[in-house]
Amino acid sequence: MQRISVTVRLNRSALQFDEAAYARLESYLAEAARTLEGNPDQQEILGDLEQAVADQCMRRARPEQGAVTLAELEPALEEIGSVQVPGASTGSDQATRVAARPLQQVSEGAVISGVCQGLARYFGLNVTALRIFAVLLLFISGGGMILVYIALMLLMPYAPLEPGGQPLGWLPSRSRSFMQYLRAKFSVATN
Amino acid sequence: MTDESKLAPIRKGLLEFLVLKIVGAESMYVPDILRRLAGTEFTTQEGTLYPLLSKLRREDLVQYEWKESDLGPPRKYYRLTDSGRAQLSALDEYWNLINRTIADIGH
Repeated sequence: MQRISVTVRLNRSALQFDEAAYARLESYLAEAARTLEGNPDQQEILGDLEQAVADQCMRRARPEQGAVTLAELEPALEEIGSVQVPGASTGSDQATRVAARPLQQVSEGAVISGVCQGLARYFGLNVTALRIFAVLLLFISGGGMILVYIALMLLMPYAPLEPGGQPLGWLPSRSRSFMQYLRAKFSVATN
Repeated sequence: MTDESKLAPIRKGLLEFLVLKIVGAESMYVPDILRRLAGTEFTTQEGTLYPLLSKLRREDLVQYEWKESDLGPPRKYYRLTDSGRAQLSALDEYWNLINRTIADIGH
């Protein structure tokens, strides 16, 4: 059995890619296209990048090898780098901004109140893994985890709802409004 | 590493100036421009340079022409337009002015 190789037309060059390399290339170009969304030269820049990928891969290709594999494509893409729009924030700026996102509960797509989603977003963790971990803690702690969760529900502010975001589930929407009600009452009482 | 976050925006702002300078000296295609910048503080990548050049072309500061190549498909060679040249000398002058100010201030 042989892996399928695909002929890819990259701007003015045609190359053979194996399946994995083709998938990687496709996702790189899709990401580039998204970054260049709305740029009047989007197509032209994508063409330039395709040509850069083709040139780099040809330079790295081993003669005995039929198709470009990830072994050539990855370093090529590494050298070309992701698309940076001039004047916009750079990738590292964005990374800092994501990391600097405040610790907030995220109601969209939440199971209970969005605590796990908020923690996952803040610490850059996988939310499913975090939820599983939280459920494990619930059993290990003999229910003490419930108190921790309620405390976090009370203490973590709610992230503003994304305009046009997914609708809230029944429980997240109830817990959100209930917590906000409690907070309003509490701050009235303390002021 | 307090510095890097403060230095990166300076480099980013100056990259355009440097690119104008490079293609102002002679018409060049992108891998040559990258080589010229490689190893300097302004080392950059195609992913950054192509969008920047297309912006500069939109602003009528650079233009390109296709040249045949023995090694593969035709290449885009970038050079300054007249307004690009004017912009470059204005930037050069401004850069000197800033340098003088920085050198003089606090003395």
